[in-house]
Amino acid sequence: MNKTLLGYVPKESPIYLIHPFVKLYFLLVVSLFPMFITQPEANLVIMAVILLLMLWSRVDLRILRIYVPVAIAMGWIILLSYTVLGGTHPEFELLANVLGIKIYWERLRDGIVVYCRILPMIATMVFFLTTSRERDVIVAMRSIRIPFLVTYVFAMALRASGMVLEDFQIVRQAEQARGFDTTGKSLGYKIRKYVMYMIPLFALSLRRTEEFTNALVARGYAFTGEAAKVKRADYILTHYSFRLYDGILVALISILFIVILALRYGYNAFSLESSPLINWLYQILR
Amino acid sequence: MVHLIEIENYSWQYLNTPQEALKNINLKIEQGSFVGIIGPNGAGKTTLAYSMDGLIPGQYRGLKHGTVKIRGVEVEEYPRGKLQQMVGMVFSDPEAQFTAMTVEDELVFGMENLGMSLSEIRERLEWVTELTELKHLLLKPPYEISGGQKQRVALAAVLAMTPEVLILDEPTSMLDPVSRKRVFDVLQKLKQGQNTVIVIEHSLENLIPLADRMVLLADGEIALDAETGEFFQHLDLLLEKGISPPGAMRFFYELMRQNLYYGRLPLTVDEAAALLRGAA
Repeated sequence: MNKTLLGYVPKESPIYLIHPFVKLYFLLVVSLFPMFITQPEANLVIMAVILLLMLWSRVDLRILRIYVPVAIAMGWIILLSYTVLGGTHPEFELLANVLGIKIYWERLRDGIVVYCRILPMIATMVFFLTTSRERDVIVAMRSIRIPFLVTYVFAMALRASGMVLEDFQIVRQAEQARGFDTTGKSLGYKIRKYVMYMIPLFALSLRRTEEFTNALVARGYAFTGEAAKVKRADYILTHYSFRLYDGILVALISILFIVILALRYGYNAFSLESSPLINWLYQILR
Repeated sequence: MVHLIEIENYSWQYLNTPQEALKNINLKIEQGSFVGIIGPNGAGKTTLAYSMDGLIPGQYRGLKHGTVKIRGVEVEEYPRGKLQQMVGMVFSDPEAQFTAMTVEDELVFGMENLGMSLSEIRERLEWVTELTELKHLLLKPPYEISGGQKQRVALAAVLAMTPEVLILDEPTSMLDPVSRKRVFDVLQKLKQGQNTVIVIEHSLENLIPLADRMVLLADGEIALDAETGEFFQHLDLLLEKGISPPGAMRFFYELMRQNLYYGRLPLTVDEAAALLRGAA
């Protein structure tokens, strides 16, 4: 198995045939699709397609289990925000009045629409993270000529975030070993005592910064001066080649996006009026 | 004899510290020699290593007296990146020196910084991964491998830049004995290749067989500087400065103290065994 940003993918997965740029392009463009599609069922189809792509990539779908509670909680928050906390709207159609709380059809419908838009966006991101390694992100960025410094800082930010989490665990375990533990304590207590973790973590981060700077200097890297002007060979890119099918995939994603835009603005497609799911719900609830 | 490194009357005091970290250091290191630097914690070993690599005074603020020259040129006079092409540095904490997301990228990073061509990078990568036995780890993130492998990656990353001098600052301090041995196996190969290597190390069992010369630093000063065989004949001084000699050497030293042995102290277990066989 190869470790990705968010899980593991078997070494023989077909996803490795795809150039990292195509994956990044897929993430950036396909996650825009739901913005132009109002029909929930169309967005759910996008989500299903992404799940099929994950299956094709041989991603261990058990990783998705951690997102189920998040997805449910997010659904409830959106639904409550649009209905119970949605305010008074005399211009909307009232479905129910529970103890003075007015539930309007339009607000309920909009909540469902928003939720169904967010789900495929998240699925696209999860697909990208479960099939890409840090290196893929860097290669994707460098292959479109983003300056080395930008991609390097991005890569180091990715790495640093992991290191900070590791350091946090170390600090916490060290403090637990000395009898300081917030387990089982109230949230207020935890927040007050959080500084006990933050101070050593901050000191550790400063030390790591110094060590990392020394390592960069020792490897001959410089942000300014003559050494910064050296033409880099970009060896990493030699492992990847942008093949014909990568170009076709990029073209297909682009065409699909244009088609969605054309259908949306030229033919008023994906509208709520023509949504069987929304019409069916309306029939049931009114 | 060509002196690759010449340190004369050198003192360094970090800013806002009450005393000098290094005092009046005089040290000349010849090309192709293998030098071991030992000393108790706080003796100034890392400061000396940083001074030879230009990290001091480049990255640290403080007061400097005297000169530190590499190939006859003061370290500050080298443009950024140029000195590092000549002097490679491996730090004690391998994880702290990783600058890339995979072992392969880590090994290539320094070479790219030096502006090497793709074919040159490929060639050196092939050589260094074979030397350090890292080929099977190339696609792994460097922070997910074992401690010994991490240190070999750090060593390989510097070796790939083919510096004229390689300085290792306690490279095995975080390693188990097996991993320690593997790092020293790589250093053995470098010694055979006539590379100039300076190792700051506490693990004397591994260092002694390789070192041509040893330097003892104590309280920021050079307390002893001699050829390895001669160096360990001053065991009284070494013990006084908190150095713990290898067991075999210690055993013969105790015999000597009790007037049971009068010869030279053996440096290694093999030498001790040979002495005992001779005595039997």
